[in-house]
Amino acid sequence: MSEAEIVLKAENLRKRYGEHEVLRGISFEVGRGETKIMCGPSGSGKSTALRCLNLLTTPDEGRVWLEGTDVTAPSTDINKIRQKIGFVFQEFNLFNHLNALKNVSIGLEKVRKIGKDEARKIALEQLRRVGLEEHAEKYPAELSGGQKQRVAVARALAMSPVIVFYDEPTSALDPHLIGEVLEVMKELAREKMTSLVVTHEMGFAQSVGDEMMFMVDGRIVERGTPRELISHPQYEVTKSFFERIQELYGSER
Amino acid sequence: MATVWEYLPYMFQGVVWTFGLVGGGLALGFMIGLPMAIGQVYGGKQARAPIYGYVWFFRSVPLLVLLFLFYWGIFPASGSKLDPVATSIVVLGLRSGAYQSQIFRGSIESVGEGQLTAARTLGMSKLRGIYHVVLPQALRISIPGWVNEYAIILKDSAICFALGVLEILTRTRYVVMATMEPLLPYFIAGAVFIALTYGGTELMNVIYERIKIPGLIGKM
Repeated sequence: MSEAEIVLKAENLRKRYGEHEVLRGISFEVGRGETKIMCGPSGSGKSTALRCLNLLTTPDEGRVWLEGTDVTAPSTDINKIRQKIGFVFQEFNLFNHLNALKNVSIGLEKVRKIGKDEARKIALEQLRRVGLEEHAEKYPAELSGGQKQRVAVARALAMSPVIVFYDEPTSALDPHLIGEVLEVMKELAREKMTSLVVTHEMGFAQSVGDEMMFMVDGRIVERGTPRELISHPQYEVTKSFFERIQELYGSER
Repeated sequence: MATVWEYLPYMFQGVVWTFGLVGGGLALGFMIGLPMAIGQVYGGKQARAPIYGYVWFFRSVPLLVLLFLFYWGIFPASGSKLDPVATSIVVLGLRSGAYQSQIFRGSIESVGEGQLTAARTLGMSKLRGIYHVVLPQALRISIPGWVNEYAIILKDSAICFALGVLEILTRTRYVVMATMEPLLPYFIAGAVFIALTYGGTELMNVIYERIKIPGLIGKM
């Protein structure tokens, strides 16, 4: 892969909370159009890794580049960087006081300073993209979990990010609502939206994931295509993890 | 001797003064309380300690003591002579600020960390996130507590009679002295406070109904 195609690059990220070292040197790259999957047992540092990449959590060591800009440099305006990184949370985190449309347009209006009408147009477009145009006027409390998460995806997309992070986007959803969110994510992956996905959805990983990274104890211990990794894991931890996941979720979704 | 009824207009004019005290006190309290609440939730140790001390002081000292302390003590000693009305508004406001800060602190904390985190992932600074995302929710959640604060400061404002502010109670006392009739004037004064409490609460209910949002707590 040539240098120009790399969207996100992390080098030797480390983070420690007191005695506990959550990240022990994480390095990887995400190329343009790629969907990268990150998985591993809970507590392995996946969420912390995502948060260190856009400095929601400040890493103790290591560097991050977004499209060649050193994110971790003190001179970098992190608010500018974050505008380019969409973030989808496990718990949705839709703004409770705003309807779906405003949730999507607030970033355009207040951060990118786009006019109201134009922002509304873009927001409606993004809601259409996730199949929720008719629910534009509804407040988060009036939406199902799956709909909330799709609005959250639209909110991330509205900012025209260069990459989208998903932090276990379906883990807080009722099983029957997971499919609609995964469908949206798959569609985006097919449209070559660059993304970094923390997930245990192996079906999703196998159908659109370009590479999978398996984390244990703050380290990436294995990587490869999702199919390779799931069918021929090298380590015992990886193997037993996938077996447990399969017991819990079934093999394909 | 004049009857109580002839003094009714005089008594009712006290409502204007009472509203002045309450409105001024609540407004000043809001301007003090909200930043303090934000400081208490998001500020570091250096911010939290003085705020905590402030709240502790104004919640511990009786209002009457505060009024005398500021009117006879602090203001003269600091060389600024404030009249009784101004002193009363300042004291009611400083004290209400302590109480309001705790109302706002509670509602800001109830908004949930994820809301601000999400705002920051859109590229908002912490302050902008607080302004655009946290406060619109927290202030709505605060309404019931804030209406309660209105009811409290309304009744507390009567204590300002001690500085001779011409609010309802001060005027009522003059009427009692002039008519030698205590029962009816004090009864009317009580009724006026009931009406003001009820009216203010109802008004806030109407406002609340207009700006409420599905799923946001804060129902009265």
